[in-house]
Amino acid sequence: MSAAASRIALGTAVTAILLYLIFPVVVVLAISFSSGNFLTFPPPGLSLRWYHAITGDPEWVSAFLVTLKVGSLAALLATILGVPAAFALVRHVIPAKSLLSALILCALVTPPIVTAISTYLFFVPLGLNNSLVGLACAHAVSGMPFVVINTGASLRSADRNLERAAIIHGAPPLWAIVRITLPIIAPGIVIGAILAFVHSAHELLIAIFVLGGVGKPVAVKIWSGVQATSDPTIAAASAILIGLAILTLASVTTAQWLARRRSQ
Amino acid sequence: MTALAEYAAAPARRSILARPHVIPALLLLPCLAWIAFFFLVPLGLMCWRSFAAGGLQDYPALFSSPLYAKVMLTTVKAAILATALALLLAYPVAYVLTMSSGLRRGLILALVFIPYWVDIIVRSFSWLIMLGDHGLINKLLIDLGIVRAPLELLYNAFSVLVAMVQILLPLTIVILFGAMLRIDRTLVAAAKIHGASGWQAFRTVFFPLSLPGVYGAGLLVFVLSLGFYVTPALLGSPRQTMIAQTIMVEASDLLDWGQASAAGFVLLVITTTIAAIYNRYFSLDRLWGGSEP
Repeated sequence: MSAAASRIALGTAVTAILLYLIFPVVVVLAISFSSGNFLTFPPPGLSLRWYHAITGDPEWVSAFLVTLKVGSLAALLATILGVPAAFALVRHVIPAKSLLSALILCALVTPPIVTAISTYLFFVPLGLNNSLVGLACAHAVSGMPFVVINTGASLRSADRNLERAAIIHGAPPLWAIVRITLPIIAPGIVIGAILAFVHSAHELLIAIFVLGGVGKPVAVKIWSGVQATSDPTIAAASAILIGLAILTLASVTTAQWLARRRSQ
Repeated sequence: MTALAEYAAAPARRSILARPHVIPALLLLPCLAWIAFFFLVPLGLMCWRSFAAGGLQDYPALFSSPLYAKVMLTTVKAAILATALALLLAYPVAYVLTMSSGLRRGLILALVFIPYWVDIIVRSFSWLIMLGDHGLINKLLIDLGIVRAPLELLYNAFSVLVAMVQILLPLTIVILFGAMLRIDRTLVAAAKIHGASGWQAFRTVFFPLSLPGVYGAGLLVFVLSLGFYVTPALLGSPRQTMIAQTIMVEASDLLDWGQASAAGFVLLVITTTIAAIYNRYFSLDRLWGGSEP
């Protein structure tokens, strides 16, 4: 095969794979603007009626509020606990570092159903079931890896000499970290916190078990909706989530870009 | 006098923090304590419950029942297929990402990341719409005259596989891309200078060097696919349930917590073993720049 032909073949294959990746997202977005009553693609016409159906439905509004509350608290907890851990892992010699990192990351590879039933069984005697705080505490565990990894990456690439310079000029070491190092690695911390929030917003099984029937977050509401598919409301709710995701992704990319420009 | 006392006390006060592992231990303690309390203790409790609730009575049922054997077989088969396909499709994308730069790389990365930020439920739901009798795929096939009646694309192993691979692809691409970026590309150039064609250089130099990344991504993706719940529950056939669905039914419908815990324990042992193998060969230390400070 000539070089040009193989390049074209590779390009075609990659384009097809990328289409396969992005198409489901496009379909859901398109259907959310449908004017029809059913889940047909392409939609018969365009309207915002399914968005109005969501903003006018107190159940959906409260679902978005629950997701916002649980996600923010989980992301906050993950950040408070994860940033110091990243400092320890990047800057210090620790015995069994590999085992400790595995411990921090293992929540991500544990099957969600196993985490869900074990959390439920643990929360029943503690009375943490049906509590948003309890759910956020559980979500913080799987949010932490995102914070630790992103903070760790920023910390590794940050120039430590700036902090040393501050200390030489008389700043207490802790103050030098707060005033010099934290602002430099802030974009990494923010990205980690956003990823932890998104992880919490998408988490389904722990939320089903811990919250039971009361105060459904968006993921649970969508899940009970898709099992009885009827109209495009689900698509609109999904589209709002997709919109939020793309918005956060864009802000993250901008934050990264700004950080890179500042460091140059 | 006070100055002298301070002088005497200062080294003692500093010495506690100056001991080798005190500061990192203090930094790690809250995080590890949280994980222990909200993650490890519940898992331990679940395992203990599966043994203690009725002696070991939940385990013989697990290993002798044809239902479990069938469910585990379905799960492992689906996971192997999904992993293989995800690797196969992710490889060319990661390769093109590695070889491109600037705008094109940014565009491909955006197309890879956008689906990654969309809920798994939403993506599975989208396949439900597309693969139905009146869905996009069937409509297209009929309009093009390829088939007369709509194909049964939904509620079988095919629909589950199509959606699982789409869900696993972004992560697979990112892991492979990371691994390929670490390959020294001057080696490929050297092979070409010595007369290898583009394909030969790829096959004998680049591909073998990329294999460790492929194995690593494969292990990780395999572990993740073992735990899939939403996709098979929504798109699969009831005759081909995966293990997470069985555990869900036992826990939430049958309220058989002993059996659910036992099945959960077995699943946990399998995934932890594979994760441990991954950590052994693709040490997680690398995330923090190895073992040096």
